[in-house]
This record gives sequence, C-alpha cells and structure tokens, in this order.
Amino acid sequence: MLLNKGQLTDWLNQLMQAYQVFAPIKEGDYFCFKQINSGDQATLNYTNSKVPPKEVLFPRSEKLFCYRCENDGVQLTEQIDESKKIIVGLRPCDAKSFLLLDGVFKSDKYHDPYYLTRRNNTVLVGLGCNQPASTCFCTSLGGGPFATEGLDLLLVDIGDRYVVEVLTDRGRELLAGMELPAADQEAKETARRVKEGAALSTQVNLEGLKSKLDVIFYDPIWDLIHEKCLGCAACTYTCPTCHCFDIVDEAEGNEGCRIRNWDACMFPLFTLHGSGHNPRPTGKERFRQRVMHKFKYFVDNFNAIACVGCGRCIINCPVNLDIREVLAEIQGSEVRSDKQ
Amino acid sequence: MKNPYLPLPMRLVKNFVETEDKLIHTFTLEFLNEEDEKSFQYLPGQFAEVSVFGVGEAPFGIASSPTEPGHLKFSVAKVGVVTTTLHQLPEGTILGVRGPLGNNYPIEEFKGKNLVVIGGGFAFTTLRSLITYILHPDHRGDYGELTVIYGARNPGLLLYKDELAEWEKRSDINLICTIDRPVEGWNGRVGFVPAVTKEVAPSAENAYAVICGPPVMIKFTMPVLEELGFSPERIIMSLENRMKCGIGMCGRCNVGNKYVCKDGPVFTRAQLNQLPNEY
Amino acid sequence: MSELTRAIQETAQKLLQNKEVELVVGFAEGSLPLRNTPCFVRQPEEAQRLVWGYGCENNLANYLRQRPEKVAVVAKGCDSRSIVELIKENQIDRNKLVVIGVPCRGMIDRKKVTRLLAGKELLEAEIRDGQVVLKGKEFSESVPLEQLLHDTCLTCQHPNPVLFDIMMGEPVPVKEADSFVDVANFEVKAPAEKRAYLIQELSRCIRCYACRQACPMCFCEECFVDCSMPQWLSKSSLNVQDNVFFQAVRALHLAGRCVDCGACDRACPMGIDLRTLTRKMVKDVQELFGYTAGVSLDQKPPLAAPINTTSPATFNQDGR
Repeated sequence: MLLNKGQLTDWLNQLMQAYQVFAPIKEGDYFCFKQINSGDQATLNYTNSKVPPKEVLFPRSEKLFCYRCENDGVQLTEQIDESKKIIVGLRPCDAKSFLLLDGVFKSDKYHDPYYLTRRNNTVLVGLGCNQPASTCFCTSLGGGPFATEGLDLLLVDIGDRYVVEVLTDRGRELLAGMELPAADQEAKETARRVKEGAALSTQVNLEGLKSKLDVIFYDPIWDLIHEKCLGCAACTYTCPTCHCFDIVDEAEGNEGCRIRNWDACMFPLFTLHGSGHNPRPTGKERFRQRVMHKFKYFVDNFNAIACVGCGRCIINCPVNLDIREVLAEIQGSEVRSDKQ
Repeated sequence: MKNPYLPLPMRLVKNFVETEDKLIHTFTLEFLNEEDEKSFQYLPGQFAEVSVFGVGEAPFGIASSPTEPGHLKFSVAKVGVVTTTLHQLPEGTILGVRGPLGNNYPIEEFKGKNLVVIGGGFAFTTLRSLITYILHPDHRGDYGELTVIYGARNPGLLLYKDELAEWEKRSDINLICTIDRPVEGWNGRVGFVPAVTKEVAPSAENAYAVICGPPVMIKFTMPVLEELGFSPERIIMSLENRMKCGIGMCGRCNVGNKYVCKDGPVFTRAQLNQLPNEY
Repeated sequence: MSELTRAIQETAQKLLQNKEVELVVGFAEGSLPLRNTPCFVRQPEEAQRLVWGYGCENNLANYLRQRPEKVAVVAKGCDSRSIVELIKENQIDRNKLVVIGVPCRGMIDRKKVTRLLAGKELLEAEIRDGQVVLKGKEFSESVPLEQLLHDTCLTCQHPNPVLFDIMMGEPVPVKEADSFVDVANFEVKAPAEKRAYLIQELSRCIRCYACRQACPMCFCEECFVDCSMPQWLSKSSLNVQDNVFFQAVRALHLAGRCVDCGACDRACPMGIDLRTLTRKMVKDVQELFGYTAGVSLDQKPPLAAPINTTSPATFNQDGR
C-alpha cells in the first residue's frame, strides 16, 4: 500500500478517535514517544528517540494499585491501563525489544498484568531506517533497518510517500477507511533501493561470546573494564530491553498507592540487604551484572541476547563507555577456566 | 491469571517480642477472607511479601507450617523501613500478604530419609516451619531421624524458646541448642555451630542436611558436612537476596541466571556450586 | 594539541617508569567523533593511549576520591579546582596525588553540535585554526570553535590549573570576568516564571542520577534521595515537583563546593538545564561570602565554618 506523506496527519487524526496514539515528538533537543492529540505533532524524520518507546508499555513510574485502609479491612483498586494504543514511527530495533520484554513479564507461573494488558492493546506501526546511525548495530543481533519482527505495519519512506507493509491483521485494520492504493512497481523499486542503501557501518562480533562469558565471571578483566563507569543509570534507563524496577508505597493518611519505578543494576542500593551485606558491592560487580545479564543470563533463560543494537547506551553514556568496545575486549581476552 | 502484585488482606493478631534484644518480633497474621486462606497453599521453605500499607512491602520466610491452619507467622528483624514500622504496629492492624512465593524444601525427596537441620541466629524461621511440618502426626512417620542443631550468640537470642523446650522433651527429635559463650543458667552446649556439628557428627547415611544461617556460619559448617559425607546434592540451603517483586521480574535477586525469588530461595549446594558467588 | 598529547604521554610514562605513581588517570580517544574518554593507565608502555583534545570534557577529579594508591591525574582548570575542594574535604590525600596540569582552551559541547546539525549525524570532525569542520554523510561544514564550546568554558575564569605538580605547555589567556548575566536574567524573573521554567526542564528528568554520579563533589555515602528513613522525597517521578526538589537540594548541597565545571549538565542524557541552579548557587556564594570554590587550598569553605549555636538570634532552645 502507499500512503502519501500529506495523508499522514489525517490518518493519525482518524486513528486517534479509537486509540491513544504515541509518536515521536521533539522535546528540547531530542525525540521522545509521547501521546499526541493532533496528527501533525508526530515527527517521523528523526533518527531514534532518546528514551525508547518501552516507556509507553512500561512507564518510568506507574501505579500498581491504590488503597484505602479502613477499620475493618483495606480497599484495593487495581490501576490497569486498558486503553487501546498505537505506537507510530518506532524503529524495528525497538519493536524487537518488546518481544524480549514479553518473555520477562510473562512466565509460566506469573503474568504481569500491567505490561501485558498494555502490550495486548497496543498496535505497532514501525518506521524503517533509511539512514541508520553510526552507533546502530541491530544487524549484529539478528535485526535490521527494515526488520518487521514484532511489528503490525512497517512504513518505508520513499521520499514523498510511505510504502506501507501490512504484517498482521491488526495492522490491516488500522488502514481501513483510508482506501490506500497498492504500491506500484515504481514505488516497490524505490523501496527496494532505499532498503539496499541503508547499510550499517557498525558490526559487533558476537560469535562465541556466550561461551566466553560462561567461564569469565571471575576473570580479572572485570577489574578494569568498568573503571570509568560512573554508576548512573543513563544506559539502563535509555535501554529498550532493561526492565528492572523497584516497588514503593506513596501514601498520605490512610490512603495511598503502590508504585513501581524503573530501577537499575548500576545502583548500589539495588542489591543492598537490610543487614548491610551487598552481594554486588562495587562498580565491578554491578557492571559485570549488566553485561552478564544481557549477553549470558538472558541467553540462558530466554535463548536470546537482551540487546537490540539501538546504540542508545553508546550515545548516552556520560563517559563514553562503549558497549561495542566492552564486548570486543571480552572477545579478545584469553579464555581461562573460571575460578574464584 | 490473577494479578500477582495484589496483596491479600490479613489482620495482625499478635506482635510478639521474640528475642531478648527486642530486635526480632514474631508476627501472627490471620486472613480476613476465608477464600484467601484456602487459596494460600504453601509448604515449608516458601516466603511471602508482607505489606505495611503506606510504607511498603518486604519478603519474609514463612515461619508457620501448613499444619498450623488459620494463620501465618513471620519472625522479622528490625532492619529497614518496613520492618521498623512493622515492629511498632498495634495488634489488629490490617496488613497485606502476597504469596506463597518461591520454592519449598524438597519434603517429598526427604521422605524416608534422616534429616539434619542446622540453623543459626534468626535464620531459623523457615526451619521452624519445616520441623513443625515433620513433627506433625500426619507426617512424622514419613521421615527418619530428625536432628536439629541450633545456635545463637546467647540464650536470649534463640527464637521460639517455648517450642524448643517442648521439642527438647520429645523423643522423635534430637534437638541440640548451643550458644557462643557460656552464660550463667545455661545448661546446654557452648560453642559455634560448625564445631558443635562436628562433635555431634550426625551420620550422612541416607540423610539430607538443611542449613540456614549467617554467611560465616555456613562457610565454616560446609566443610564439616562434607567431611561427614554429605554430598552437595544432599545439602539444602536457602538464600536471602534482596527482593522486590518476588516473581522473577524486577531483576535484583539473581545469582547468575537464577532468580532467588522464583528459582529459589531453596537450592542444593550442588546447584549453588554452579552459580557465581553473588549472594 | 598534539604537542600537549605528546607531553602528557611522556610525563605519564616517566611517572610510571620511575614508580612515582601506580596509576595515571587521563583521557584516551573516544569511540565517537569529538569525544575523548577517561582512561586509566598502569603500565609505562600504555601511556601512548593518552591524548589531549577538545573532547576531554569529563571532570577526572571524580575518580580520585579515597584511592589507596598513588595516582597522577591529567587535570584542566576545572578538574584542578574540584581537586582543591576534595583535598579540603579530606577526600583526596595531596601526598598521594600528582597533578599533571593542562591549560584548557575549552571543550566542545556535542549538544551544540547536534543542535547545529539539526538531525544530520556527525561522523567525523577536524579542528584547525579555530575552526571545526563537521563532516557527515554528504555534508561538510565549517564552524568557528568558539560557537561549539560548552557554556561553562565560555565563562571559565580558570582555564589554567590552579593546582599542579607538572605543567604541560604554556598557560592560556584568561577571559574577562564572568558577569553571570545568565543568572541575572533568571533572577529577575517572577517566582512563578522561575518555577514554571524549572518544572518544564525537570519534567524530562528520568532520575538516572547521571548528574549526581558525574559530580566530583556528590560523594555523600548515602544520598538524601536514597534515604528511606526518613524518606525526603518520592522515588517515583509521578510528581515533577520531586524532581525539582531533588535538583534544588543537590544544588544547595553544593553551595561553596561547586566549581561550575558543568559535569552534571553534560552528563544529563535528557539535556536538562542543570546549570541555572548550580550557577545561581555559585553566584550567591560569591556575593554572600566572597568565596570562589576551588581556587585556594588555604581558604576555608564558607559553609564548613562552625555555626554559633549559642547565639539566641540564630537558634532558640528547641533548636529551631
């Protein structure tokens, strides 16, 4: 199908009647996914958002339930967001991150209703990357600038129009009423050329990384590799697959809410026991945890690396601690049998 | 599937000062709703998240046994904001409980075997649950000899003193309590848990060891158990990493690729040998 | 620049060879254009990794607190001022520190580059004769260096290290006195307007605490935001006022200690203006106490002076 760029605003306005529509909008110098109330707010000529669209499904802070204590009991009110949503213009890497997050929030035994309800009610309209950034390495992780995994629709920018690839029935429904023409031969040809032209300049060698990480826990490499890390959460909070959270109460008098907030393995408090003991007492253990979690533990548990190669951690690190370099250093280290 | 974050309402019916230093209280909670009680099916070794509304929630091992219906018991040390508030709560307060969470002691595997239960300090809570469960007339016959070695710094810091006294009188449990240094009026053993375990030398034959206590006690008891012939597969431990969600999602309690809240808290020594030492 | 690089490498190599220090903290080439990255060197032959450039924007004093070993640090003016304050606060042992001073011509603000390029990606940059040539896919533009420097560098009064053991190269000229015109512009705003501005900026805060972690002076063993007994502010970001409260208290904690190095502002991934608050504090401390942080080892920090608690005018019996 073909969508004229001039029709985009109308289309979004139409979708807004039945859905909350989230799209990249400019905030300060950066782009973030925010709910828009007019189609013209969406800005699709952007490279990638500062904070990944995971915040639409898994907000930085959200209420789990509210409560009111009474003499004889407590009234709980679940705060599950059931509104129908569309995320428009997300990049294929971010769409892939949702597939990884699904595994975390849905186990055999427990389902997280907050994430999963939003997830089930959200349609994903992707935007292919005509010009991936130099920090992008999605292809090293099985993704690609025009990968469709996890998406319902994919928009391919061919200049004044988008070629709309319909990937699911949910995606098709969004186009109902638009009466879009099928993509003609010329448009298809342009789309093909656009896709070919979107080459990535960065590759990260992940071959054999897992088996190396399997035996490298006690390696002295960790003593040095984290050294410049400041221990902030700029990397984890802008990572589309990081999902750690904290749960707190906020109350006044006999009423309050239980809230969950993003949390990060880079903070010392994250693992500090009440007794004062901390299993991950220094930056070394915490940085190792971040690398291990993404590239080993997640692979053990979900058979996938918890990284989509979006490059946000590279761009946002205040000290330029580059995950590509970290992985290369691990790859280049001597394999030794893991001993404490 | 139901929302795993919603606590069940319970009433605090007893806030009991358990230890002489007043730092451990034992809380007895009763379900407000009968159907909640029915749905809360737990086994020794499991834990629950206890909510103090307005303050937060924290995970505690369940000290009561499923053979004691009608209530749950938690023995809690005063360490953080939730536990400090909990200690001050008047009886009658409405609390919340989420659970049961985590795995349990392998009571099925224990059947027909002798058991050596080793505890130190206030890490005796789920061990109390286990012992109470085994001593119940419905279950006692399923298990062999039961040896319990329990140590604390001084007599005043032992938990569940009344029950210890009762167990002392019974012939179907061999209870050895020990304190670190001699105190007037104490007629029991004196010495650290590892040394006492060595003296008592329970046989490893057809036996499992279950051990809970401070890291230093575990560290020095482990070689004793190995010397006695307990294989790593038959040494059972319970871990206590910091937790929030209790259901394997919030990401903080992992040891290697295992989550203490979901895959544990009960692990065999053999399993832990395969994991990094982050606990 | 390359001369400074060479001088730093040679100095570091000698210090390590002669075992005068065990570690040199400096900068290496970064992985992004116009970016240098903190670098830790322990072997003399590794000293060649050290470089000096316009991307040495991090304040390396952050890595020097409570170190057991003898360390040398590559320090520009602002780093040296933080070092001075940290020595006064007993966080750095002067006897275990060798300061390799580097006169600083200012560091490039990549946010300004991003803004200038308006969506185009910078892939390469070259700096020559006061001009920065920015190159990317199908573009190349030349911009005066001055236009791309961090605001902190434009008002910096101490580009030459105030404390050093070895000095690299020649001192650079010092700019005219800082007029604090930006702060003055903020001060004349109506309270509601100031509040609205801070709320708007801090509504973007994601509480990653990069600002706190990047600040050499933010070293409280337990930060007030992390306290739970009592809990001073909400840990959630449902209420933006808590983000403002966090920054306001952070700035107050830094009164008389902040050297306006801009590390917090640079670290913020969300591009929040943090300097309006810290600069206001710096100006107030100068006006109220005549104190400029980090310029002298002998001058006592004004807010570390003992408070006279017996004065009835200050405190009543309840301590209020």
